[in-house]
Amino acid sequence: MVEQAEVALRMVGITKHFPGILANNDITIQVKAGEVLGLLGENGAGKTTLMNILYGLHRPDSGEVFIHGKPVTIASAHEASELGIGMVHQHFMLVENLTAIENVVLGLPAERPPLLDLEPARVRFRQLTKEYGLELDPSTPVWQLPVGDQQWLEILKLLFRKARLLILDEPTAVLAPSQAQQFFKTVRRFAEEGRAIIFISHKLEEMKEVADRVTVLRDGHVVGTVDAKTATPSLLAEMMVGRSVFLDRRPRPVTETRKEVLVIDSLNCLNDRGAPALRDFSLTVYAGEILGIAGVDGNGQRELAECIAGLRQPTDGTIHIMGDSVRGVVSDTTLLGYVPEDRRKTGLVLSFSVAENLLLKTCIYPPYTRRGVMQWPTIRRHADELIGEYDIRTPGSMIPTRYLSGGNQQKVVVARELSGGPVLLVTSQPTRGLDLGAVEAVHKVLLRERNRGCAVIFISTELPEVLALSDRIVVAYKGQIMGEIDGEGADVNLIGELMLGHREARPTPVGEST
Amino acid sequence: MDLPNMVLDWLAATIRLSAPLMLAGAGGLFTERTGIFNIGIEGMMLCGTMAAVAASLATGNLLIATLFAMFVGGLLALVHAYLTVTRRADQIVAGAAINLFALGITNLLNTPLYRAYEYRPRAPLYPVLAPEALQELPFIGPILFDQPVIVWVAFILPFVAAWFLYRTTWGLNIRAVGDHPHAVATAGLSVFRLKYAGVIISGLSAGLGGAALALADLGLFAPNMTAGRGFAVLAAFVVGKWNPIYVAAACILFGAADALQLRAQTYGLAIPYQIFVMLPYLLTIAALAGLVGRTVGPKTVGKPYDPQIV
Amino acid sequence: MTKRQSRPVLPVLGELILSGGRPVLAILASLVVSSLLILASGANPFRAYAAMLDGAVGSAAALANTGVRAAPLLLGGLGVALGFKAGLLNVGVEGQIYAGGAAAAAIGITPLPVPAWLHIFLAIVAGFLGGALWGLIPAYLKAFRGVSEIVISLMMNYVGIQFASLLVHEPSPLALEGAFYPQSPLILSSARLPILIRGTSLHAGLPLGLLIAVILHLALRYTPFGFRTRITGENPEAGRYAGVNIRAQIMLVFLLSAGLGGLAGTGEVLGLKLALYDYFSGGLGYDGIAVALMANGNPLAVILTALFFGLLRAGAGKMQVAVGIETPIAQVIQALAVLFVIAIGFAEQVRITRREGTEMVAEEAPAHGPS
Repeated sequence: MVEQAEVALRMVGITKHFPGILANNDITIQVKAGEVLGLLGENGAGKTTLMNILYGLHRPDSGEVFIHGKPVTIASAHEASELGIGMVHQHFMLVENLTAIENVVLGLPAERPPLLDLEPARVRFRQLTKEYGLELDPSTPVWQLPVGDQQWLEILKLLFRKARLLILDEPTAVLAPSQAQQFFKTVRRFAEEGRAIIFISHKLEEMKEVADRVTVLRDGHVVGTVDAKTATPSLLAEMMVGRSVFLDRRPRPVTETRKEVLVIDSLNCLNDRGAPALRDFSLTVYAGEILGIAGVDGNGQRELAECIAGLRQPTDGTIHIMGDSVRGVVSDTTLLGYVPEDRRKTGLVLSFSVAENLLLKTCIYPPYTRRGVMQWPTIRRHADELIGEYDIRTPGSMIPTRYLSGGNQQKVVVARELSGGPVLLVTSQPTRGLDLGAVEAVHKVLLRERNRGCAVIFISTELPEVLALSDRIVVAYKGQIMGEIDGEGADVNLIGELMLGHREARPTPVGEST
Repeated sequence: MDLPNMVLDWLAATIRLSAPLMLAGAGGLFTERTGIFNIGIEGMMLCGTMAAVAASLATGNLLIATLFAMFVGGLLALVHAYLTVTRRADQIVAGAAINLFALGITNLLNTPLYRAYEYRPRAPLYPVLAPEALQELPFIGPILFDQPVIVWVAFILPFVAAWFLYRTTWGLNIRAVGDHPHAVATAGLSVFRLKYAGVIISGLSAGLGGAALALADLGLFAPNMTAGRGFAVLAAFVVGKWNPIYVAAACILFGAADALQLRAQTYGLAIPYQIFVMLPYLLTIAALAGLVGRTVGPKTVGKPYDPQIV
Repeated sequence: MTKRQSRPVLPVLGELILSGGRPVLAILASLVVSSLLILASGANPFRAYAAMLDGAVGSAAALANTGVRAAPLLLGGLGVALGFKAGLLNVGVEGQIYAGGAAAAAIGITPLPVPAWLHIFLAIVAGFLGGALWGLIPAYLKAFRGVSEIVISLMMNYVGIQFASLLVHEPSPLALEGAFYPQSPLILSSARLPILIRGTSLHAGLPLGLLIAVILHLALRYTPFGFRTRITGENPEAGRYAGVNIRAQIMLVFLLSAGLGGLAGTGEVLGLKLALYDYFSGGLGYDGIAVALMANGNPLAVILTALFFGLLRAGAGKMQVAVGIETPIAQVIQALAVLFVIAIGFAEQVRITRREGTEMVAEEAPAHGPS
C-alpha cells in the first residue's frame, strides 16, 4: 500500500483491569484501511481482551477508540457491528442445530419483521460463495459442516454485515498448513478490497506471511510495532518473550540398544462422534527416546493418547506396554504416566486440594489408606515432598488446586504422573497455555525422563517444539502415520507436507527395530 | 353404557382434559428452548387455578379471570427467571422451591377464599360458544363443539406457538439461545432478555392452563388441584421433542389417559385407575430411556449462562 | 519453595462462615416476608412466631413433635445430600418414600416367626431396598446411558405414588378390607419402631437419621468410598483417569441415596403412621430436597436444616390455635427460605467463579476471557 491510506482504527491508551490482573496496560494500536495488522503475543499477553474491548464485549477502564478518526464508545457487539467491526472468534459462535443460513441471519434486522424471511439472505449467500469460490449449501445444518467450512461460515457472517474492519482471532488453529496458505491469500484479498484487518496469532511464521505490520504485545503492554517483511523471526520472538529465545536442538545421549517399551499394532478406534479416529495405526516407542507426534489438531492424536492410557476402547488392534496388553484404564504408575491435553478437565480436580491431586491415583490405596481409612497426615507428607521436588508454588498442600497458576497446575500433573517412575510417558500438548518459564520447566522434565531411560511420547501441534525436542518424529494425519523422520536435521517443509497427507516416495517403515 | 357412547364420552372428556395441558405446554416449551428448565410449571398452574377461581367469583368476568390467572403465573415465572437467569441459581431447585411456595400459599389462602364466599358457590365457567346446530352433529358434535371456548383456544395456541417459533426472527433467536447462548450474544442479541422472555411465557401459559383447569368444568378450587399436571407437561416436552405441535399431541395422549383413569370404574374396566394415571409418566421414562426414538433437547438446558465464561 | 505444612485457616474459616451465614440470612429474610403475610391476615407476627416456637420446643411433647416431623426430612435430606456429593440430583425422593414405605409395610404386616428386633430390622432393610429399587431405573440410565436423572426421577415419583396407591386399594393383598380410607392393615407391634419418649410419637427414626448423618460425614472425608464419590461429583473425567469406575460409583451412590429416601418412608410407616396409607407423604420428598439444599449438601448441616423444618411444621399447629393462621404457613416459610437461599447464595458462587475464571483464563489459551 503505497498511497496514503486512511487510518481505519485507532485505539489509544487502552487500559483494562480484571480482578487480580492487569490485562491491558495503556495500549495504543492503529490499523489503516487495506492493511493487515498482525497482533502477536503469547497466550495471556492481552490480545483477546483488547479485541473484546473493540468488539464491545468489555469496557476499558480508560482509553479511547477512534473509527475513521471519530471517537466512539462501543457498548455491545451490536454497536460494534453497526460500526462495521466484525470478529471471528477462536471458538466458533455457531448454533449447531440451525442451518448455515439461519446462523448467518441470526441477529440481523429482519427484512419484513417479524417474519423470518430467508430468501433474500439465501440469494446473497449464494452470491458471496460464488465470489469467493466456496461450496457451501445454505440449508446444511452446521453440525454437518467440516471445520474449515464452519470457519468460512463465520467469515460469511461478517461479510453479510458489510464489515469493514475484520478481527480474526487465531484463525489458523483449525487449518492444515496449506489450507492456511489459501486462507492467507483470502485475507490479503479482503485487505485489497479496502478492509482493515487485525490478525491475532501467537505464531511468528504466520505474521510474516500475511501481515503488513506487526504489533507485539507482552504482559498486557505494547512492546513495539515493526514491519512484517523486514522483521526477523528471532526479533519477533524476542519481542514476544523479552529475551533471546533459543529454538535449537538439545543433543541426545547415544544409546546402543533399543528396548521396546510401547508396541501399537494396527490400532483402530472411533472418536466421540463415532467416526474413525485411528486407522491401522502402528507404532513402536523405545526406551530412552522422545518420539514427537506432529500434526494438525484433530487427526487422532488425542484418541491415540487415550487409547494408550486405556481411557478409550479401540475397535481393533493391540497395544502392549512392556509386553503386557492394555485393557482398561492403566492406573499402574510404574508403567504409564499420562499428561493429558486438557489438564483442567481431565488431569486435575480443581476443587480438590493440591495434595489430593498429587496423589489422585494412589491416595485410596496403602500406605495412604489403611483398613479403609484414609491417612491424611501420610498423604500430606508425600505431597509436600513432591511440592518441593518439582518446585510447585503453592501456599500449602491443602489449598484447592484451582488457586494455582496454570504453570503450577501443570507441575502438579507432571509430578503426579512421574512419581511412580513410569517406563512410558505420554504427554499431549503439555505446554499449551503456559508462560515461557513453565514451558522450559516442562521441556527440562521431558529431557530428564528421556535421559533416565523413559520412553516419552510428545504430542504437540507446535512444530518448533517438536523439532527441538524429538529424537524421532512421526506425523499423524487422519488417524494414520504419514511418515517417520529423524529429529536431527528434520525438514520442516517435509513435515508440513506430511501433515497434509501427502505421502512421499516411501515412508520409513515404523515399528521395525534395528 | 354401551360402547359407542362410552367412546364418545371418553373422547369428549379427553379433549376437555387435555386443554389445560395443551395450554401450559404451548408456552411452556419456550422456556426449555431458551435453555432454562422450569419445573415450577406445576406451581404456576396451581396458583393460576386459584387465581382464576378467585377472580371469576369476584368479578364474574371470565376474561378478567383468565388474564389474572396468567398474570399470577407470569409473576411466579418472573421470580424463577430472576433466580435462574440473573442469579444463575440451580434451575431444578428454583422450580422445586416455587412449587413448594405455590402449594403453601394456595393452601393458606384456601380457607379465606371460601370464607369470603360463604356458600362455596361455583365460579362462573367458560361458555360453550358453538352454535346449537354444530353441537348436535353426530359424533364430532359432542366431542369438538360441545366444549367451553377455552378448549378451542387450547387447540389454536400450539399453532400460534409454532408460527412464532419457526417463522419469526424472534423464534429463531429463541431456538438459538438454548443451544449456543454465546453465539447469540456475539450476534448482538440480549441473551438475558430472550431467556427471561422464555420463562415468563411459560409462566403466562401455565397460568392459562390453570384457568382452564378450574373454569372449564368445575368452577372450584381444591388444595393441590393440579395434582402433577405440571409434571405431565414436562413429560410432554420430552415426548413431543420440544415441537409445539408434537407437544400438543402428547398432551392429548395424556389427556386421554387421564379421561380413561377417571372412568375406569364406570366403564367396568378390570384395570385399576392408577395404571392410567401412571401411563404418561411411564411413557416419558420409556422415551428418555431411548425406547421411543431419540430425545435430544436444547443443548444448554439446565446450565447457567455466564457471559464471562465461554 | 513450600512454606510450612500449614492448613490455610483463613480461607477454610471464611468458606465456613459463608456457607453457614447464607442459610441463616435466608431464614431471617423468609421470616420477615412471612410476617407480612401474617400481618395481612390480621394477626400479630410476634405472637404468631412465639406461638410457633412454643409449639415446637415449649414442652417435651412439643420437642417430640418437632423430632417426629424432622425424622423423614432428615433421612430424605441425607439421601439428596449424598447425591449432591456425587453430582447427582435425586429428585425422586417422593417416589422412593412410597416405595420404601410400601416395602416396609409388606414386611411389617406379615407375622414372622422371629424375635421383634429382627422383625423391625428386616422391615427397615426392606424399606431401604424398596427405595433403592425405585432409584434403579434413573441410576442405570444415568450411569450407563448418560440420561439426565432429573426428569426420570420426577416421573418415577408419580409412578411411585400410584403404585403405592394400587397396593392399598382392594383387591391388593396389602389392602385392608373394608377400610374407610385406603390403607394397609396396621403394622404388627413386633415390627413397629420403638418410641423414644413415652406418650409421644417420637420414634427411632430420628436417632437412626442422626447416626447416618455422622456416618456419611465421616465416610465422605475418610474413606475411599467418600473419595470416589467426591471425585465423581467434582470431575468425573479426572476420576476415570484416576482409575475410579465412575459408572459403578454413580449407580452405587444413587442407589444409596434412593435407599435413604426409602428409609424416610420406612420411618413414617413403621414409626408414625403405623400403616401404609394412600398418599401418606404430602410432599416430604420435595421437602427433603429443600433440606439438603439449605445445608449445602453437608450431612451434618442437614441435621440442622431438617430440625429447623421440623420445627416449622410442628409449631404451625400451635400457631393456628393461638392466632388463627393456618398451618400451611409453615410451607410458605419453608419455600421462601429456600428461595432466599438460592437468591443470596449464588451471589457468592458467582463471585468465586468470576475470580477463578479470570485467574485461570489469564494463564490459559484464550478461552474468551482476558488474554
